[in-house]
Amino acid sequence: MTALILQSLYSGLLSGGSYALIALGLALVFGTMKIINLAHGEMVLLSAYMAYVMENRLAVNPLLATPLALVVACLIAVVVYFLVSRISRNRELNSLILTFGIGIILTNAALIIWSADIHSTSAPGFQEPVVLGPLYSMRSELGFFVASMVLVAALWWWLSRSWYGRAVRAVSSNRDAAKLMGINPHRTEVVSFVVAGILASVAGVAIYSTGVIQPALGASLTTKAFIITVLAGIGSIPGVLVGAVLIGVVEALTVTLYSSAIQELTGMALFLLVLFVLPNGLFGAARRRG
Amino acid sequence: MLRLDAITVQFGGLTAVKGVSLSIGAQEVVGLVGPNGAGKTTLFNAISGLVRPTAGRASFEEADILKAPMYKRARMGIGRTFQIPQPMHELTVRQNLLVAQRFGAGRVDEAKVDEILSFLHLSDKADRDAATELSLSELKALEVGKALATDPRLLLLDEVLAGLETASKRSFMKTLTELHARYRISILIIEHDIETISNLCPRVCVLNYGQLIADGTPQEVFSDPEVIRSYTGGGHD
Repeated sequence: MTALILQSLYSGLLSGGSYALIALGLALVFGTMKIINLAHGEMVLLSAYMAYVMENRLAVNPLLATPLALVVACLIAVVVYFLVSRISRNRELNSLILTFGIGIILTNAALIIWSADIHSTSAPGFQEPVVLGPLYSMRSELGFFVASMVLVAALWWWLSRSWYGRAVRAVSSNRDAAKLMGINPHRTEVVSFVVAGILASVAGVAIYSTGVIQPALGASLTTKAFIITVLAGIGSIPGVLVGAVLIGVVEALTVTLYSSAIQELTGMALFLLVLFVLPNGLFGAARRRG
Repeated sequence: MLRLDAITVQFGGLTAVKGVSLSIGAQEVVGLVGPNGAGKTTLFNAISGLVRPTAGRASFEEADILKAPMYKRARMGIGRTFQIPQPMHELTVRQNLLVAQRFGAGRVDEAKVDEILSFLHLSDKADRDAATELSLSELKALEVGKALATDPRLLLLDEVLAGLETASKRSFMKTLTELHARYRISILIIEHDIETISNLCPRVCVLNYGQLIADGTPQEVFSDPEVIRSYTGGGHD
């Protein structure tokens, strides 16, 4: 039993790392524009389909689809930004409706182009086991986790060390005060969307490399990313990382100890429980107390 | 330097600023006073770009500023502080100034930032978190520091002394006087305390119900019957 729980914790950690990558894009855009991009999961989904297309049409390693996925996800991100920035009234609510609609359009486009069939990679080596003592994972899962951590670290560095990263944080902190500092908020918003697109593209290719994809996946990824972002406390990057791992671990433990049928349910229950106790999320409360 | 010509700001049916015309010369220090709701902060918002005037014209150093967005006005040399300090979360005090300098002045000069920090008595707090580790007077100083870091030629100070206890207020007033002498910039300051404004500003403008009702030396302005009426609740003619 102990070995099973240890394995669940390990699997939860690995999937949590990948969840973090998806949630960070959502959190970044929310930070700068105060909108929830409900089409974020579909950006990840289309990136995953780029990997599928590259493998099945061009017979190349799906990881080589990353540049193509990057272009596609960033293009969608810029289009979403362009449309959202045109909303002049009640942006918070109207952007929800708009991005929800974009998500539906992208999901249906995927359905028309690639059908509702489930797809997964058959590239050699991806599903080979990597054994670390008593812990087991697929090579692709471990690769995804490492790539996620590298990207999270890069994002952290960018936000804390680069001028544009600091500008993004300034706009997230207080848009008007940032403008008084000479920061062009529109530019930082575009940059945030593009960075979210980059994270989504890597996440998409990685999801195809580690599991199965189908058109409905986008909406569930958005929901998960949203839960993690709120659970973490809006605006907290370390919080997103912790929240993502927490959700990943809880889901993995649920699968091990009970059933995969209620895996999503326990994640949602944890989310509601945390919000009930800490309405500002795990790290939002700490920030406020500080 | 700054020229406002018949600036009017309306919010729906409410006229917050009504046909205000005034000019501020280079290195001039001007106080802007008036009862609550007189339109002082709205006028600051119109100058800094936070609100768009309904009518009128405004130029800064001969350039039309009304079409320029807020961030461009900051880059043009119009610095501003908010009544309630707005530090950037998760950035240190020094980083707040460096970001303001990088984007507002278009360059990075750490020596200049250190000099501003020292002038504002914030050197020992330079590496502290700006949002959570400063007292109110330090936050107010940071607000001024961020504006100074953008290399302004006109500084709009919105009730920068409000909420400070007497000793801090006196010390901050001294800093503001030195600021003008050291940086040789124009200052337009909103302040409620008449004694403070009289000590700081050789020239005072009074707004009431959005209209400019007096403009002159503190002695002239505060002995004007219309100004006295506006403060004692005489209301609008």
